[in-house]
Amino acid sequence: MVAEVEERVVPHEPGPDERVGGARWRPAGFLLALPSLAVFVGVGFIPLALVATWSFWSFDPDTYWIKPAWTFASYAALLENGRATVFLRTAGLAALTATASTLLAVPAAAVVGLLSGPRRAALLLALFTIPFFTSGLVRAFAWRLVLGRQGVINNALMSLGIVETPVEWLLFSDFAVLLGMVAAYLPFAIVPIVLAFARIEHSVIRASQDLGAGFWTVLATIVLPLVLPGIVAGFLFVFVVAVGTSMEIQLLGGAGASSISIMIDDVLRVVNFPLAFAIATVVITLLTVLIIIANRALRLSRLFESLGI
Amino acid sequence: MAHSIGNGSRPGVFSQLTRRQLVQNGVLGVGALAAGSLGPLRAARAADEINFWATGTLDIGDDGWRTIANDSGVKVHFTDNGNDPGPVLAKLAAGNAIDIFDVGGLQGGCEKELARRGLIAPWDISQIPNYASVWQWAKDIPYLTHDGKAYGIPTVINADSMIAVRDKAGSVDSYGVIFDPKLKGKTAMEDAWINSVTFTAIYLKNSENAKIAEPGNLTADELGLVMEFLIKHKRNGQFRTFWNGWEQGLQLVANQEVWVMTGWEPIVYAARMRGVDCYYAVPKEGYEGWANNAILLKSAVVRGRTKAAHQLVDALLSGFYGCKVGLLRGYVVPTDNNVAYATAHANAFDPAGVRELAERVKQKFAGKVYWQNTRPDNFQLYETWWQRLRNA
Repeated sequence: MVAEVEERVVPHEPGPDERVGGARWRPAGFLLALPSLAVFVGVGFIPLALVATWSFWSFDPDTYWIKPAWTFASYAALLENGRATVFLRTAGLAALTATASTLLAVPAAAVVGLLSGPRRAALLLALFTIPFFTSGLVRAFAWRLVLGRQGVINNALMSLGIVETPVEWLLFSDFAVLLGMVAAYLPFAIVPIVLAFARIEHSVIRASQDLGAGFWTVLATIVLPLVLPGIVAGFLFVFVVAVGTSMEIQLLGGAGASSISIMIDDVLRVVNFPLAFAIATVVITLLTVLIIIANRALRLSRLFESLGI
Repeated sequence: MAHSIGNGSRPGVFSQLTRRQLVQNGVLGVGALAAGSLGPLRAARAADEINFWATGTLDIGDDGWRTIANDSGVKVHFTDNGNDPGPVLAKLAAGNAIDIFDVGGLQGGCEKELARRGLIAPWDISQIPNYASVWQWAKDIPYLTHDGKAYGIPTVINADSMIAVRDKAGSVDSYGVIFDPKLKGKTAMEDAWINSVTFTAIYLKNSENAKIAEPGNLTADELGLVMEFLIKHKRNGQFRTFWNGWEQGLQLVANQEVWVMTGWEPIVYAARMRGVDCYYAVPKEGYEGWANNAILLKSAVVRGRTKAAHQLVDALLSGFYGCKVGLLRGYVVPTDNNVAYATAHANAFDPAGVRELAERVKQKFAGKVYWQNTRPDNFQLYETWWQRLRNA
């Protein structure tokens, strides 16, 4: 009996199948994950670390490359010639696109994730992916034919007698860029919100209704809190993609319209590598911080719990 | 015994794979990636084979290169260099392009800088018999030589101005129309400082008496003057947009989004085919001339490809290439050999068409022409100003 008690209290080394730091330690699992980890580090982390490091180096006119002469000059250059304005404009445009996309995506996702059976939901989700069957360039270019002076909308407005001359601001304007971006990136918002709606147990809604909750009460106290991580994830997906785009801005924006991607193209054209690296480093850092904060605040990982991830 | 990978209770893709299959597939995948990354270095090449790294529009396809090989004895492996001078120079100076390619084809302007860095070697004109037939004004392009030696051989040449929609813009003979307030919101320029700054400088020099010495190579003060002018007009809403690429440029004219814009002559012909009555203007201020020049990479000399490189360039000037690239792109190789070849091979090419193309370009160069320069001395300052213009 004494021996049994001692055996229970004596600490021992964790076995291969026991939890370490809250997670179960499995050597076999770790070995299997090793190739993926190596790819993540090799293809993802190391290049980003190099980009961040090189952003503090200097351009070497002798080699046409960069040399390890450490400087903040590239970061100082970010504040000159309106480059900071490009950051703010791009972030603002991306936020506007993400907001508009999310607002449109919520009702669409509710129909797919909450009100449709599995077969119809799959069909509707497939329909939302149709725009991706063609290239983004073609999609953006097509808007020029719709919004232009001789485009479908202006022709309709003039033939109906609503306007006498073509409406100029429909194309080559912020409006056109926003429209093109929302149309292109809406599916990125829909998918995570559909996932969030799909996780809502119908019995919970029925129970609340049995207890006398009306539509708005159910929406405000049950549905919205449960889909909020999906909404935030959808917003972030669109925001991140929109920050990096240039196609819609170049094709639909006004004269010389700029974005972060266009600015990087411009500085690479004159082989100003450190400045390009500095721009990329700032963008990556800001986006990473944004995603971490959103995840901490709203536990976005909950979205994937039903997938067993 | 082969073990399944993944959760046995949840059949999925991975549960269908054995570890051995996974390893086999992984090895095959890595092998495929490694082989792909070798690219043109993979094949051992003979001394009569040349890796030609040039602007994509200079490619005349497998059939065309086969004819060149038959005529000159040089087998060409063509690779598109993207035509963006910044990345091209960087790949030559800091990348491995110099180890892979033998002859380059670049929009003119970088030659002196490449020569100063020892990245390209001078051509031995005596080994290029057809060089004698090159039109003199093409030989006189200022950036082709360095220290009295020829570093660039002009292989394709033309001069650009403006495209105007006849019934909207009327008769256009000056770049001033691009900045005319009467056409506010109806004009456009290219989203590239290489061209748009040069066109504006040509206009200011000739019609506004601005003190500009060389529109293709502006000093800091001249550049400031030109860019302030552009910024003022952009702020006033003068430009409908800045365009990028062939299809965008064509759409602007074909759909009459703009009535006049600086651009490439082939857009006129394509827009006419879409029913738009437009024409290529003859501006009194002159044209922006451009040339795509062949350069001999220094490493080709080291690798013993000098003779083959000269044979290739000689073949580019011999007539067939001029006919072929004229047919495919409407480009002109600056030599009368094109017309002679077309006349001798009337079953393959239309001699009248080849002659008309050549005469049209000659006519442009009979007047004032300012050369486009992809590498002005202040090239990084150009980008800084272009950024200010974007944000104006």
